[in-house]
Amino acid sequence: MMNNMPASPFYRIRSSVFSLLRKGRKISLLGILLFPVSGQAQEEESPLPENRYTTHATLFGIGHSNLYETYLSPSAYTGPQLSVLHETLRKTHWLDGRITTQSVLDGFFSYASNKAGNSNEMGGKINYAIGWHYNWLIAGKLRLMAGGDVHGGLGAIYNTRNSNNPVQAKAEADIGASLIAIYPFYIKKVPFTVRYQIGVPLIGAMFSPHYGQSYYEMSLGNYDHNICFTYPGNAPSMRHFLTLDFPIAGFTFRAGYFCDIRQSRVNGLRSHIWNHSFMLGYVKHFSFVKRKEPQHHSFIL
Amino acid sequence: MLLFVLPALLLYTGCIREESDTDDTPLNNFESLWRIIDTQYCFHDYKTQEGCLPWNDVYAKYRPRIDDKMTTAQLFEVLCDMLSELRDGHVNLYSAADVGRYWSWHEDYPSNFNDSIHRLYLGTDYKIAAGIYYKILDDNIGYIYYESFNSSIGDGNLDEVMYYLRLCNGLIVDVRNNSGGTLTYAERLAERGTNEKILLGYIAHKTGTGHNDFSAPETEYLEPSHGVRWQKKAVVLTNRSCYSATNTFIRDMKECPLVTIMGDRTGGGSGMPFSSELPNGWAVRFSACPMYDAEMNQIEFGIEPDISVSLTQEDILRNKDTMIEAARDFLKR
Repeated sequence: MMNNMPASPFYRIRSSVFSLLRKGRKISLLGILLFPVSGQAQEEESPLPENRYTTHATLFGIGHSNLYETYLSPSAYTGPQLSVLHETLRKTHWLDGRITTQSVLDGFFSYASNKAGNSNEMGGKINYAIGWHYNWLIAGKLRLMAGGDVHGGLGAIYNTRNSNNPVQAKAEADIGASLIAIYPFYIKKVPFTVRYQIGVPLIGAMFSPHYGQSYYEMSLGNYDHNICFTYPGNAPSMRHFLTLDFPIAGFTFRAGYFCDIRQSRVNGLRSHIWNHSFMLGYVKHFSFVKRKEPQHHSFIL
Repeated sequence: MLLFVLPALLLYTGCIREESDTDDTPLNNFESLWRIIDTQYCFHDYKTQEGCLPWNDVYAKYRPRIDDKMTTAQLFEVLCDMLSELRDGHVNLYSAADVGRYWSWHEDYPSNFNDSIHRLYLGTDYKIAAGIYYKILDDNIGYIYYESFNSSIGDGNLDEVMYYLRLCNGLIVDVRNNSGGTLTYAERLAERGTNEKILLGYIAHKTGTGHNDFSAPETEYLEPSHGVRWQKKAVVLTNRSCYSATNTFIRDMKECPLVTIMGDRTGGGSGMPFSSELPNGWAVRFSACPMYDAEMNQIEFGIEPDISVSLTQEDILRNKDTMIEAARDFLKR
C-alpha cells in the first residue's frame, strides 16, 4: 500500500507516540507539533521505514535576473524574475541504501531592461535534472552527498525591439557533478535542517546560432555548428542552493537562496543568465507503508 | 569550506560578462557603434570596392569629432554621418528624437510612381485580400498592387486572388513603393509564378568578427505553390523604392519563366538586417546576412529591370501611368 499523504502528520504523530512510549519519554505538545522536522533531524535515533522514503519540496521564488546575449545586444539586461522549483529526493536500495535519487524541475520568467531603460527583454526557461548521490554521515550529524546528474533545459530570451534577431533560443543538455551537505540542528528544542547544494555541469551540448546566423536561414535548413559541445571552459556554469527547513504547526517549510549561473561562449556568441532568488515553500515526506509493522533500521536521509 | 571556495574561484575565473565599457559617454557610444559595425556588418569589402570609405578610415575620420562635452543631438549627428559612409538603407540609428537614415537609394532618383494617378487606375471597385489590392483592368489584364510586405498574405488569400484573375490575358504585379517587410510573404507570392523548383540565389552569414568571416553560401530555392499558380505572362513593376524584401522578391520573380521585370532599377538592400544597441540605449540596425542572386552577384545596390520604363511628364499630365500602360501593351502582344 502506498501512502502519499503530505507530511503524513497523523501517521507521524501515531508512529512517534508509539516510538516515544516505547522509549519511555514524555510527549510535549511542542514535540508533536514539530515532529515532521524533528523526525527528520533525529533520523539516526528514530529510524523511519526505508520503503522508498521520499521528500517532496515545492518552492516559489522571487529574485533578480541578469541577462546577457550578444546575439541580441552587447549590453546586459537586468530585472525582476519569478521562479518555481519542485524537488524530489528519494532513497534507493542501491549500495546498501547509500544512493539517493534527486530530481529537480524548475523554471523562471524574467522581465529585464537595459541600463538606459528604453528596451526590454523577456527570458524564461525550464530545467529538469535527475541525479544520484552517494551518502556519508560525518560526526553523526553532518551528511555529505556526492554524485552526478543529467540536466536538460529549454527556454528563450526575447528582445522586444530587435528586427531579425529578436530571440535567442535556449536548449541544452549536460552531465554534471553535484555535492550536498545537510546539517540538522536544534535551537531551543526546535529542529532545523540546513542544506547546501552545488551543481556544476561538466560536459554537454547546447543549441546556438552561429555568430551572425539568422533564424530565417536556419528555417531554410542551413546547419552551421548549431549544436555545440560544452564543457567548463566554454560554458562555466553552476548552481547553488542554500535552504533552511523549519517547522510551523506540524508542517515543514523551506526557505532558501537559489543561485543559477548559466554561461556560454560558443560560435563567437557570449551569453549569461544569472538568476538570484529568494525561495519559500513547503516540504512533504512520505513512504510506502506495509500493513504489518516494518523492519526498522537506520535511515540514511 | 572547500564547497564554497572552489565554486567561487571557478565563478571568478570563468565569469562571462560585458566586454566593453558600458558607461554612457559620447566616446563609449561612438566606440561601441564603430565596433558593432566593424564586427557584425556584412558588406565591408564590397562597399569598399564600390567606393565607400574603408571602415578603419571611417574611425580615423570621425573620432576627432567626438568630445565628451558634446550634446546628445551633436553626438547623434556625428554617428549618423559616420553610418552614412556605408551607403546602406538597412543601416539606421534610432534615438527617442530621430531616426538616422540613408535614403539616397530612392531620394536621389525619380519616384516613378504617382499616387493620384494610381488611385485612378484602382478606382473604387478593387478588391482587397489581406495586403493585396487587385482588380481586372478594362482590357482584361489582371492587376495586383502589393504596397508592403509588412502586410501579411496567406495561401488562402492568394488562391482567391489567382482564381478571380484566372481568365485574364496577363497579370501585372505592381510592387512600386513597396520598401520591404517579411520575406515569407514575398516568397509566398513568388511561389505562384513557377511550376518547378528553381534556384533563386544564395545566402550566407558571418561566422566571426573579421570582415571576411563568412559561412559558405547556401542555396535558396523556390518551391512551386500547392495552390493556384499563374500560368500566363506576368509583368512585375518596380521603382527605386523597391527595397529589402521587395528587392529579394524581384530577384525571385526574375527567375520565374513567364515573368518580366519592368520599370526602374530597384533600391537594393540585400543584407538581412540585425539589431543592436549603444550604451545610451540608442538602437542600431545594420545589414548582417548577405543574399546573392542565382549567379552569386551582389544585389545590395539593386536589380536592373528586364525592360526599363519610367513615368513620363506627358503621361502624368494625361493622368496616365506610363509603366502600367507599357505593361498592358507588353502583355497584349
